[in-house]
Amino acid sequence: MADAPAHDEVLDAKGLLCPMPIVKLAKFVKTMDPQKVVLLEATDPGSVPDVNAWAKNTGNPLIHQETVDKVMRFWIQKA
Amino acid sequence: MSSLLYVHTGGVNNPERSATPIYLATTAAAMDVEVGIYFTVNGPTLLKKGVPETLIVPKFDGNGAPLRRFIDQAQDMGVKFYVCQPSLDLHGLEKDDLIDGVEMIGGAAFNDMALEADQVICF
Repeated sequence: MADAPAHDEVLDAKGLLCPMPIVKLAKFVKTMDPQKVVLLEATDPGSVPDVNAWAKNTGNPLIHQETVDKVMRFWIQKA
Repeated sequence: MSSLLYVHTGGVNNPERSATPIYLATTAAAMDVEVGIYFTVNGPTLLKKGVPETLIVPKFDGNGAPLRRFIDQAQDMGVKFYVCQPSLDLHGLEKDDLIDGVEMIGGAAFNDMALEADQVICF
C-alpha cells in the first residue's frame, strides 16, 4: 500500500450514519482552500462507495484510502 | 449541474416511508446535484405545521428521530420543497398550514421540472 499522503485537516465522522458523513464532508470541503487535503474518518459501512461516488460527482479527487479496524480513512483534495 | 427530482407520495399514516426520499435528496445536494422534492398525494400531510416535530421516523430499536431533523438537514443543504394545490385540497390543507420553505407549483410546472431533470425518482 502506498504511504498515506499529507493532509491539512482532519474531519471526524466516526459514528455518524448515512447520509451524515457525506453531508458533513460536503459542508467542510466548501470551507477549504483549493488543493488542500482533508482526512475524513468514518465508520458507516457504506462509506467507501459513498465517498467514491461523492468525489466522482463533485470533482474533488479522492487521492488515497485506507481501512483499519473498521475505521475508513479518506484523503480528499479540494479541487 | 446535474439535477434530480424526487416525488414523495407517502404521508403521516406511513411514518416508515416518510424520511427516505428526504435524506436521499439531502445526499444528492451534498453531491452538488440540484435537487427538489415534489410532495403529492399524501406527501403534503408531512409538511403540515407541527407534524415534523411529532412524527417519529421509526427505528427497529425504538430510538427513532423526528421527521423535523431530516427536513432541516435537507433545507439546510438547499433541497427545494414543492407542493401543488390539488394534493393540499385532498387533505383540507392551505399553503399557510404548511411549514416554511415550501413552494407552491402546478402540474405544468411539475412536468416541466421532470422534463428538465436528469432523473425523476418516485416514492
